[in-house]
Amino acid sequence: MRLLHVVGARPNIPKLAPVYRAAARRGVAQTVIHTGQHYDDVLSAAFFRDLEIPPADINLDVGSHSHAVQTARILERLEPIVIAERPDWVVVYGDVNSTLAASLVAAKLGVPSAHVEAGLRSGDRGMPEEINRIIADRLASRLFTPSRDADETLRREGEPADKIVFVGNVMIDSVLHALPRARALEPRWGRSDRPVVVTLHRPSNVDDPHRLTALAEALVAVAADHQVVFPAHPRTQERLRAGHLSLPGVTVIAPLGYLEMLALVDAAHAVITDSGGLQEETTVLGVPCFTVRTTTERPVTVREGTNVMVRAPSELPAGVRAARRRANPPHPEGWDGSAGERVVDGLEGASL
Amino acid sequence: MKILHVVGARPNFPKLAPVYRAARAAGLDQIVMHTGQHYDDAMSDSFFRDLGIRPPDVNLGVGSGTHGQQTARLMERIEPELVKHRPDWVVVYGDVNSTAAAALVAVKLGQRVAHVEAGVRSHDRSMPEEINRIVVDRLADLLLTPSRTADATLRAEGEPEEEIAFVGNVMVDALLYAVERARVTGARNRVGVDHGRPAVVVTLHRPANVDNLTRLESIMRALREVAGDRPVLFPVHPRTRARLDAAGLDVGAVKLMAPVGYLEMLDLMDAAHAVITDSGGLQVESAALGVPCLTVRDTTEWPETITCGANQLIYDPVGLPAAVASVHRLSQPPRPEGWDGMAAVRVVDCLRTR
Repeated sequence: MRLLHVVGARPNIPKLAPVYRAAARRGVAQTVIHTGQHYDDVLSAAFFRDLEIPPADINLDVGSHSHAVQTARILERLEPIVIAERPDWVVVYGDVNSTLAASLVAAKLGVPSAHVEAGLRSGDRGMPEEINRIIADRLASRLFTPSRDADETLRREGEPADKIVFVGNVMIDSVLHALPRARALEPRWGRSDRPVVVTLHRPSNVDDPHRLTALAEALVAVAADHQVVFPAHPRTQERLRAGHLSLPGVTVIAPLGYLEMLALVDAAHAVITDSGGLQEETTVLGVPCFTVRTTTERPVTVREGTNVMVRAPSELPAGVRAARRRANPPHPEGWDGSAGERVVDGLEGASL
Repeated sequence: MKILHVVGARPNFPKLAPVYRAARAAGLDQIVMHTGQHYDDAMSDSFFRDLGIRPPDVNLGVGSGTHGQQTARLMERIEPELVKHRPDWVVVYGDVNSTAAAALVAVKLGQRVAHVEAGVRSHDRSMPEEINRIVVDRLADLLLTPSRTADATLRAEGEPEEEIAFVGNVMVDALLYAVERARVTGARNRVGVDHGRPAVVVTLHRPANVDNLTRLESIMRALREVAGDRPVLFPVHPRTRARLDAAGLDVGAVKLMAPVGYLEMLDLMDAAHAVITDSGGLQVESAALGVPCLTVRDTTEWPETITCGANQLIYDPVGLPAAVASVHRLSQPPRPEGWDGMAAVRVVDCLRTR
């Protein structure tokens, strides 16, 4: 069996790593393509190191552009590679533009694609990630789901039962794999042991000046009670500058590598985020998570985990103040560190 | 209300034409964008004339390439146009690469997409058209279907009821509008059809038929046999001609012709004993004319042409001569629900009221 993995941005790499390692242990031939759709290759390289997998075999260097232009570059540059490699599976991850583009290339070439993290839906088509998810799922020959509600979603969309394989959460494999090393790091921030960690990058939060102002005010209020550490996406920093928003008391830093970020979150009193992955990571770490969005594609984190949806930023200070870490972190079904193994089982056992 | 139509290849034009005319009658602002994904522009221009609509407002000149290259160029060139025109609806047709690419670009820009000919499936994912269909239907906000079967397909795929609208078959609108003008082209006389023995009209272009030499040889053997009995007219797609030439296949008495315009093709079919094809559109058009169709494929996206008795799937070419000998023109052209010439009016009603 020959696998061709396609990743495009940092959030993909903790999903790739456990699948890659499980396949490597079984001697499966595999090639990793990094489309380079993310702005910071340096950080991407650090992610591969932090997750103990070799760097990508091929980097397509597509860079950031509009959605159409970026997707176009990926289509053009990936197609000849899939033709040359003729893998048994093109394996795609999550919900970035590379996920969609690689699925489309594979489908047109008659190569089966497998989607890791299938069946997630926010129900909000205004999010480009939602478009990427629904197309990757529709085109895939194997749908690897992280939760039972994702299975149900795919069945409702008419996907045949034999395509849907519940494997659990591969990102949690990476958390559990990396946690001992993260905990051994010297902490670089903090006058306190329990900071509040913030990440914001979604257009709905950072591109609307009113919304961004309200969020900034809330973070400043939270900073009265807790140290607030905000690793900010360059795009978010740019928006803050453009809006002349200063964040007194908030430590704004550059984005972190995987291990450092995990260490920071693991030590946190709470997390305020609009990211998808952090909603899950905080659950297994028992850290309260406040998601500043109206929808989540990961409802199991709210139902069973530590996640709370927050519509109005003004609710944050009181919410964070009342939050308590969980002594016994919840572990939803399949969040057990072996999801990557089950993905490879599903690829090996697949009869098409 | 402003609508922007995206078309890319010849099979899209007979679907666009009735919608364009109905929208004009309703006083809507409209822009026609031709992506130029098809290689022969001359052919496309004559198609617009034949269909009674003006040439496209925008031509993106994308040209041919691999699916990846072509889809990439389509997306890059469509995006700035959609940003510039900001239409209320992006209307896409059928199942070509332009259909899927335009839908992807529009949805990412937050523009609403209507798909004309939604819910059509061959259930064969090795056909690139099938990939385009499932992508566009997943993305579109308004799914305008040609048949009740298509409605059921979309429901089974979990599409919400309020996005699905049965309108009927716009290709039949185009045909009913054009059939009288087709008869005055005199095409059937020019090609020297023996009126005692109406001809069999053939089109083939799918990779599954023309890229596989064994299969192409076996189809040509069957056509030579049919041509021993009655005239066989074969307007040849350049792609197919290249394959025939490369293989040096004997065409016998089969009359190879350059591709013909929409009206001429309609007249040839209308005069024919039967049609042998692997095209989707011709299955519908021959059925609407009451001309028996023999489809050299193992699947069809138009099951209603079979249930109404006009079409049969003959996957093994060996069966073609006997099938040609046994079919008869239907005394009344069948009219499945929605094959009434009013589908485009219903399309425009949906666009205006949603």
